[in-house]
Amino acid sequence: MIDALIVSNVLLWVLVIVLSGVVLALVRQVGVLHERVAPAGALVLGDGPRAGEPAPVLELEDWNGRSLRIGGADPGGRSTLLFFLSPSCPVCKTLLPVLDSVRSAEDRWLRVLLASDGPRPEHEDFVREQGLSERGYILSSALGLAYRVGRLPYAVLIDEGGVVRATGLVNSREHLESLFEAKERGAPSVQDYLERQRGERRVA
Amino acid sequence: MSFDLDPAVRIALRLSLALLLLAASHHKLREFEAFRSAMANYRLLPDRWTRVAAAGVASGELAVGIALLAPGLTRAAAGAAVALLALYTAAIAINLIRGRRDIDCGCAGPRARRPLSGGLVARNAVLMLVAAACALPAAGRPLVWLDGVTLVAGVTVLVFLYGAIDASLAHAPRLRALGGSKA
Repeated sequence: MIDALIVSNVLLWVLVIVLSGVVLALVRQVGVLHERVAPAGALVLGDGPRAGEPAPVLELEDWNGRSLRIGGADPGGRSTLLFFLSPSCPVCKTLLPVLDSVRSAEDRWLRVLLASDGPRPEHEDFVREQGLSERGYILSSALGLAYRVGRLPYAVLIDEGGVVRATGLVNSREHLESLFEAKERGAPSVQDYLERQRGERRVA
Repeated sequence: MSFDLDPAVRIALRLSLALLLLAASHHKLREFEAFRSAMANYRLLPDRWTRVAAAGVASGELAVGIALLAPGLTRAAAGAAVALLALYTAAIAINLIRGRRDIDCGCAGPRARRPLSGGLVARNAVLMLVAAACALPAAGRPLVWLDGVTLVAGVTVLVFLYGAIDASLAHAPRLRALGGSKA
């Protein structure tokens, strides 16, 4: 009898160890999942004009000296995507082809502008290499200051009426598309949208 | 009336608590600057005292952890462990009452940022009970080989479970941030 109890006791301990090890492993996997599913849309930074506020009106010149206006109602009825980049930012470069495809696909309603700042000589090689001179490349520190761009690549979507619709740090095509989604759905960020959805579900 | 704890259970609890304190002091001493700034964030002491206080807390943990391993010092060490845990819990509770939930608790190393929560207070309360149990007198019973199994297995399971519970506490705010259940 005692032998049987000892055997069962040791066996139970072994099983409890295995079980608690499995629980620990599962909890750690939950942690990894949390890290992977974290923010899915463009990261909205705190400063600058927020979604829903009118964009500051600026008269600027592009790379070739043509003047253009950012902010205020657009005469052509098109929205504007401002993409802030710099020659020294590798992620920005990887997004240039994405911007090209966006430009050709959304040309009907969207004007894509590239914005950077600093002395012109630093940008000459970059503009030549990437063929940006005809693609609305703007050198202006006033623009970056107006939107308080602290980190790159940063994008701002302004609608046809001159109102900021979405802003955020964009590192991928998904982030960029989340800005268009934001305009379409009228929610400034993915988090906001989910929040609203939940609210609607609760009401329904 | 006195309550005697079985010696095997008492040793298992004592070893587990010692391991916990040694691990905690290890990360505090290794990344001392991070721990000091976490402690300064509690805003309980003037800034120039935080360095001394942080060094005191970290080395106190180390000393209590080692003392728990020495059979002769168990009662004193258990008492000191209760006092240390009570100190942490009070610091956390004060900041929770102040509404400063977002500061890092400084209890899991600098890489695992962990905001303050009621869960931490509950966790510390359980640890204080464990430490208090270590101070109870042990029943005089000769230890047999099966107690060895209980000891090793018991400590292993406690370490695993502590890790699991601690990690779930860390996940709770992230789960809330996802907008899922309010658990």
